[in-house]
Amino acid sequence: MDAPLTQLPAPPPLNWAVAEDDLPREFPNRDEFAQDLEQLFPQTEGGLSPLRGGRDAAERQLERMNAKCYGRSRNHLDGAVTQLSPYIRHGVLSLAEVREAVFDQLRQHRQQREDGATLIKELGWRDFWQRIWTGLGDQINNNQEELNTGHDPNSYGRNVPDDIRTGRTGLACMDRFQADLVETGWLHNHARLWLAAYVVHWRRVHWKAGADWFLEHLLDGDPASNHLSWQWVASSFSHKPYFFNRENLERYSKGRFCTDCPSAGCCPFEGSYAQLETQLFAPPAAIGDTGGTHGRERGATFARPSAAAARPKR
Amino acid sequence: MPLQRPVLWVHEEALGPRNPALLAWPQAPALFVFDSAWISSAHISRKRIGFLYESALALPVSLRKGDVAAEVMAFAKCHTADGVVSSRPVDPRLQRIANSIRRQWPIVLLEPDAFVNPPRPPRLGRFSRYWRDAESVVWEGFTSNAS
Repeated sequence: MDAPLTQLPAPPPLNWAVAEDDLPREFPNRDEFAQDLEQLFPQTEGGLSPLRGGRDAAERQLERMNAKCYGRSRNHLDGAVTQLSPYIRHGVLSLAEVREAVFDQLRQHRQQREDGATLIKELGWRDFWQRIWTGLGDQINNNQEELNTGHDPNSYGRNVPDDIRTGRTGLACMDRFQADLVETGWLHNHARLWLAAYVVHWRRVHWKAGADWFLEHLLDGDPASNHLSWQWVASSFSHKPYFFNRENLERYSKGRFCTDCPSAGCCPFEGSYAQLETQLFAPPAAIGDTGGTHGRERGATFARPSAAAARPKR
Repeated sequence: MPLQRPVLWVHEEALGPRNPALLAWPQAPALFVFDSAWISSAHISRKRIGFLYESALALPVSLRKGDVAAEVMAFAKCHTADGVVSSRPVDPRLQRIANSIRRQWPIVLLEPDAFVNPPRPPRLGRFSRYWRDAESVVWEGFTSNAS
């Protein structure tokens, strides 16, 4: 039986003596745990996430997984995403365990391989990032390719502006994503993409600044997945930048942001992809001027936030 | 010489029961250390610390904070260990810590569970190439019950 939500599961006993400088392992409840963390880690900021760490919480989350629904709805903010990424990232659950859990669910529900294919592929993304990181090491902090935005790389800001960091952009969607990031440490993959694209392309901030900001907060903060996904948005790990428009955001968020947005009359995401492309990126001729990929035809080949374009952050 | 009396270093990539070091040495003293330098330099938020802490509390490990390599070696000395066992990390920061320990103590890094073991190393560069090599192997373990 699960412990009450305010309680922490009793830690397993140690068969060796506790040392004087060991950190405590027993807490009366989660509120006091949070207070003790303030004392133990005074240099850190914020409170606890509602998402709990530990194996019990991971197994509860795994029980909620619905592979077939995930495949159908993962791109929607209210889709059946698994929220397993924090547990996988920290080895609380291994990728192999989750793979087996998907297989078990398909067998139990007499489903076909196709019903679990999208989720298994997403687990593959996690494995892919780890293999890339093994090969690249600290090089994930550097551009993997030249930017394909047509802009001078030095024109990108090196800090995330305060209005973004503090959720005061006046854009209901972006301010909500900031709040979720800072308060819970978890964001839907599509929200990560939209927020990253806003930071990099609309605000012309270097992807590394945004990536580091995400890592401060994301419970699944995996440098390889995070940094290379930001580079994918920026176009230094892809042959084209990722961007979106209001219609796309509204579709996958079921319009929850736009209705009451204070910026409804001046939404920077309003427009067709062709219009936004012209607005956000320098003409192809300028790409050569900045040392980027030469002579690339962009236009209709720009990344669109479809299921195929979405990146794997569960 | 195989280790006879090791301590275990449990790090941020292996905070679960499938940690190969915990599986291989279930009775050995084990330690998780919060890396103070990383927490400060990367401005890690308290909720991330809390998540790691709660995950570590579910394991039979002692908890400390500070310089990870120094704390692991002090722990090993305190337990009169003959070496350190851990799971092989991917993060270069953790690899550097393992290398620091290795300069003074024998250390054995065990491979964690693999998601997929293709007969040849998969091609990387783009995900599509990797997945062409890996997908069929991932699904080898699955047989549908669908009629």
